[in-house]
Amino acid sequence: MNLSFREKSLWLMFVSFVGAYGYYFVTVLPARATDILPHQVVLFVFTVVLLVIMQIAGHIVIAVVDRRSETDERDKLIALKGTRNGSFILASGVFFALCAAVYTEGNFVFAHVLLGFWVLAQLVEIGSQLYLYRRGA
Amino acid sequence: MGKSSGHITNDIRALRVQHGAMTQQDLADRVGVTRQTVNAIEGNKYSPSLEVAFRIARVFGVPLERVFQYRDG
Repeated sequence: MNLSFREKSLWLMFVSFVGAYGYYFVTVLPARATDILPHQVVLFVFTVVLLVIMQIAGHIVIAVVDRRSETDERDKLIALKGTRNGSFILASGVFFALCAAVYTEGNFVFAHVLLGFWVLAQLVEIGSQLYLYRRGA
Repeated sequence: MGKSSGHITNDIRALRVQHGAMTQQDLADRVGVTRQTVNAIEGNKYSPSLEVAFRIARVFGVPLERVFQYRDG
């Protein structure tokens, strides 16, 4: 499969998001605390740092392997469609997070519903773009 | 006025062959888009902007209608 620089970049972001936030949720969610605990905040910061490092290192490797990093009008159109799809998920997440804030005790559920939907929105945005690059836009 | 259902086809592959077996990458470089975009246009998966369509026609030195055709149905 012949991938453009942009597609490689999207795959890197998709895999790093799944890996980093997958690790975070698998570690934190079984605790089911009422409020977010200090060590969970530390783990979240670690997750974000890990994500940034993975993406910077990955993009350096991609840039070395594939020197053609230009974008054009089709890239912009696909990015816009991906953002639109992701925004629907994010809007739903805000609604469900507000419900969680009203109906559950503490901040644990609220924060993780919001974070979960944000991650899902990112994955839908990136996944939509990967689909459109293959199926046409 | 009803909305007609048509689609755009193109002769880019044939024109590339006629122009010394020009590669998709060569055409992409001259038009200013990525090779993947040329591939998508050629495969009728993406309809380019008018600007890119005119640039493609200019590379081949032919009118726009020689490169792109609009077909009903």
